[in-house]
Amino acid sequence: MVWAWIIGGIVALIVIIFIVYYNKFVLLGNRIDNSLSQIDVQLRKRADLVPNLIKTVKGYAKHEKSIMADVTNARKNLLGAKDIKGRVKAGNQLQRALKSIFAIAENYPQLKANENFLHLQKELSAIEDKVAYARQFYNDSILSYNNSVKVFPGKMFASLYGVKVKPYLEIPAESRAVPKVKF
Amino acid sequence: MAEKELKRRIVFYDQIAKNKRQSFFLIIAIFLVFLLFGYIISLAVDPGFFFIIMIISIIISISYIVIGYYKSDKIALASVKAKRADKIKYRQLYHAVEGLTIASGLPMPKVYIMENNQINAFASGRDPQHAIICVTTGAIEKLDKQELEGVIGHELSHIANYDIRFMTLAAILVGMIAIASEIFLRSLWFGGGRGRRDDKAGVIFLILGISMAIIAPILVKLVQLTISRKREFSADATAVKLTRYPPGLTRALKKIKYETGMKKGQVPGAVAPLFFANPFKKDAMKNLRSTHPPIDKRIEVLERM
Repeated sequence: MVWAWIIGGIVALIVIIFIVYYNKFVLLGNRIDNSLSQIDVQLRKRADLVPNLIKTVKGYAKHEKSIMADVTNARKNLLGAKDIKGRVKAGNQLQRALKSIFAIAENYPQLKANENFLHLQKELSAIEDKVAYARQFYNDSILSYNNSVKVFPGKMFASLYGVKVKPYLEIPAESRAVPKVKF
Repeated sequence: MAEKELKRRIVFYDQIAKNKRQSFFLIIAIFLVFLLFGYIISLAVDPGFFFIIMIISIIISISYIVIGYYKSDKIALASVKAKRADKIKYRQLYHAVEGLTIASGLPMPKVYIMENNQINAFASGRDPQHAIICVTTGAIEKLDKQELEGVIGHELSHIANYDIRFMTLAAILVGMIAIASEIFLRSLWFGGGRGRRDDKAGVIFLILGISMAIIAPILVKLVQLTISRKREFSADATAVKLTRYPPGLTRALKKIKYETGMKKGQVPGAVAPLFFANPFKKDAMKNLRSTHPPIDKRIEVLERM
């Protein structure tokens, strides 16, 4: 009788451990998905501000057509991208294009003094920060997920459930470069 | 790297469990204190009323604890006269809080503003879903973006590891007993002066006042022992992990260091441990010293990161 209880207890414990690890992978995986959607939200918010910005800039700097075309194209790519990877890529493109808009604004004192423009500039730089924070959270989530997959005894369960290490979101090299401005 | 991160996570979850446990024990302790008061009163009045008085004191203590648990953030905010931050006027503050909640995966807390010239902030609430963050107008005026983000990151980490639950509960439940004991003692003082102490009520007030006067400082001391300096250091560390920029927080601390403290009465003593930095500075209230590690030490630790 006692042995039956002990064996029953051990079996129950093993089942619980299996469930705990399964749930752990699911929860950490969900957090990654959640953080990805957060990046998405911020990228869309940025895209939403673009038409307004273009309108304001056009009023003062009509001749900067190529830069404005860059921004519009990047926005189109972003909204048209099918998966998150495409959107992140288009988001980087948009960020670069926006940087050059703000760089040329230096040549138009009236534009620089425009209240609407200043407001948009502040909003866009705040969104840029949020995109960076969302990526950071994504990479943090990946880190804890990968740790749970790689570290023993999680490693055992991961191979059992067929769970694999996930890749980090890398920052494209060109986004760090200063945008080129043609005059 | 992986190992270090794992270790940190374990510490973090330990901290959450510890805070929940300590909050529970605090509630039990407060409950027992009330029962003790009821017992003293029943002895003073008439042992025949023992059961009625005990039932009343149980009801009072439970409602006290329930209100303290669910309304602690509101009480803390009211005690410093904080107002909801306007979304348009304090746009940069909202951006900073939103950005850091994204970085930490926390839900967005409610943001409040408190009219005060000193650079300071606090967080409160019972869990991350019901959290508030309150910043002084001084902090908004004097801190730049990175510094403000450092301070907010510190407060968000208090929210994330349930420091807010324990710290606010302690401030409210213990603080109210301390206030009550003061009221009792003062009423005794005035009552004695006018010579109204002739009936049983006077005796009860006397016994209650004395027992509260003995118990309240002990409770306050106990709470201060459990609100350890470790919490502040670990919140600083988490803030840096969120902002990835130690100089922001360091600069904010340095600015606070060269400020003068708040005047007594602007912030109730019981709420002081909730703040980012001790509102009273060094010598104003000696017994509060232990709740905050010295700013120099915090700067030193941050500079080593």
